Amino acid sequence: MPQSRVYLWFIGPALLLMCVILLIPILIAGGLSLTDYSLGNTGASFVGLENYERIFTRSTYEKMFGATFRYVFVVVPLTVGLGLGAALLIDSLGRFGDLYKTIYFLPVMAALIAMAIVWEFAFHPTIGIVNATLERGCGTVLERWDWYAQGCERTFPLWLNDRDYAIWTVSFIGVWQGFGFNMVLYLAGLTSIPPSLYDAAEMDGAKSGWDRFRLVTWPLLGPTTVFVVTISFIRSFQVFDMVEAFYPQGGGPSKSVYVMMFAIYEKGIQQNLMGIGAAITVVFLAFVMILTLIQRWLVERRTHYV
Amino acid sequence: MSQISLRTITKSFGETPVLNNVSLDIEEGEFVTLVGPSGCGKSTFLRILAGLEAADAGQVEIQGRDVTAIRPADRNLAMVFQSYALYPHLSVAQNIMTPLRMRDLNRLGRLPVIGPLLSRAAHRKMRDQVGEVAETLQITPLLDRKPGQLSGGQRQRVALGRAMVRQPVAFLMDEPLSNLDAALRVHMRAELSELHRRLQATFVYVTHDQAEALTMSDRMAVMMHGDILQVGPPNDIYRNPASLDVARFIGSPRINTLPGEVNGTGGLELLGVTTETRVRGLRQAVTMGVRPEHLHMRVTGRFSGTVRHRENLGSDIFVHLEVAGAPAKVVLRLAPAEAVELGLGTRVAFDFNPTDILLFDATGARLAFTHPAREVA
Repeated sequence: MPQSRVYLWFIGPALLLMCVILLIPILIAGGLSLTDYSLGNTGASFVGLENYERIFTRSTYEKMFGATFRYVFVVVPLTVGLGLGAALLIDSLGRFGDLYKTIYFLPVMAALIAMAIVWEFAFHPTIGIVNATLERGCGTVLERWDWYAQGCERTFPLWLNDRDYAIWTVSFIGVWQGFGFNMVLYLAGLTSIPPSLYDAAEMDGAKSGWDRFRLVTWPLLGPTTVFVVTISFIRSFQVFDMVEAFYPQGGGPSKSVYVMMFAIYEKGIQQNLMGIGAAITVVFLAFVMILTLIQRWLVERRTHYV
Repeated sequence: MSQISLRTITKSFGETPVLNNVSLDIEEGEFVTLVGPSGCGKSTFLRILAGLEAADAGQVEIQGRDVTAIRPADRNLAMVFQSYALYPHLSVAQNIMTPLRMRDLNRLGRLPVIGPLLSRAAHRKMRDQVGEVAETLQITPLLDRKPGQLSGGQRQRVALGRAMVRQPVAFLMDEPLSNLDAALRVHMRAELSELHRRLQATFVYVTHDQAEALTMSDRMAVMMHGDILQVGPPNDIYRNPASLDVARFIGSPRINTLPGEVNGTGGLELLGVTTETRVRGLRQAVTMGVRPEHLHMRVTGRFSGTVRHRENLGSDIFVHLEVAGAPAKVVLRLAPAEAVELGLGTRVAFDFNPTDILLFDATGARLAFTHPAREVA
């Protein structure tokens, strides 16, 4: 008797869509990364791993990895830490919790490109509010700090246009923009901790806030933390619009803010070098994939309680 | 002097009063049950004793020390929660060890890895204590598992173990059996009583299940609407309830109540029958209560009703009768042999022994009565 093939109709549509809009584009990108294809060309020649070789040898791409990892390893710990801290503080509040929640969440809701323009004004070397405020401190006790005295003597940093400061300034804005999101995730995690566990901790003799945090809050936020860290990593790897708004040409002073997403955009779209753009995309995908695998592993190993 | 005493505890949540001037003394080694319908304030009372909730007014004393303003961790009590409240990320052994770690180790000793190295003796002692408790509760094979891998009854034991591992002044239990299935609940009832006998410790137990209160406690306190209505040994409360509310709450199936009247000469009239029972006092409307096991089927019975429902429990059969003039069905407990013939719709005559009844006045308070020595038995 022939086996019924009706199951194909159940899995078919989902399988087809997944192939067409996810898997095939990734395979095409993988294929393109092995060629020197440009949009509009009728053909392209196979160049093997030449594009990848460039990514891992040329200094431009070294800067790309430098900028990306600097950004990621500043933004992820700070957004996670500040998000958790803000969530704990708001959770301990009775009355104004919702107000603070809204305030901290505002930057997440705002369009980053618009916010970038505001920050650009704020960090403007001469008319910006940051340096204007810093100049007010000149002549006070703050001048005993060498860095500050130098700023008063000459000028304060150009922030966004100084290659020593640019990536940190951009990271700062990334933290400002991103921690509200983590805070909301942590708040949701906190509400799911059963109050009876805190009662039990108190009966068991956990007297200080730190004891309660170590015994109940932190372990029970474990699943939330894994999720928050993973999503923060992926969001930080994806940073693009801010860089594009600040530095439409070339990725900042001496390419110090030349993050991966911007590199993909610049190579693949602006310069129409599809091959190398596709190769960076594949490397990017590999990073995200590794992060996701680590997350799966952690979720299954450590934080899966039930 | 009693070991724990709560004096004139008052508590309200916003506008809603929860406890009105409630006092209770608990002796050392006693198994005291607070029993009442949900919302009567019994859990709040226990939480005030534990210190997890602050009373609006009143005092809590433990071993002669006023602990009203002292935090729960310093009251030296142990509590078993309805939801068990086990730490899901810790193994059973670690869960049981937590109270010891928190109380007996300083912050340095609690550090992972270095802690056990620094205070090796303390850690060994703690492990031995956990082992002993696990032995007592027969959960030794479970020590390495996480709470998520345990069944309800096993979690219950772990929660008990966590409470038992140190020697607290008293064990507080907030409906610990209500999440278990019926068979396990009956089993755990016996086990808790056994545990109480073995530990000789003070147990304060909160439940809405009158069967748990009757079976386990030395004394029970019946709570309703934020007041303790009656305190006493289970048998006293069952036989001699102070008010109609208590009589109705304790006992399953519920006590039968019939409307009656005391006539001008002090005789009790029930459903048109004048009984021999004499009540001192004025002409008034009363309620008579009689428990299902005190009603007997008898051909010469003065009352009669029609069978509307039969409940077969195997050892007993409860027959629900519709009686003219009675607002609710009257329930009789019969032995299976007696009830064989009783189909639905059968007419049944029944009676009771006059010493077995309880009388309550219009406010629900008990009325004293006498009856002539010679009675149609």
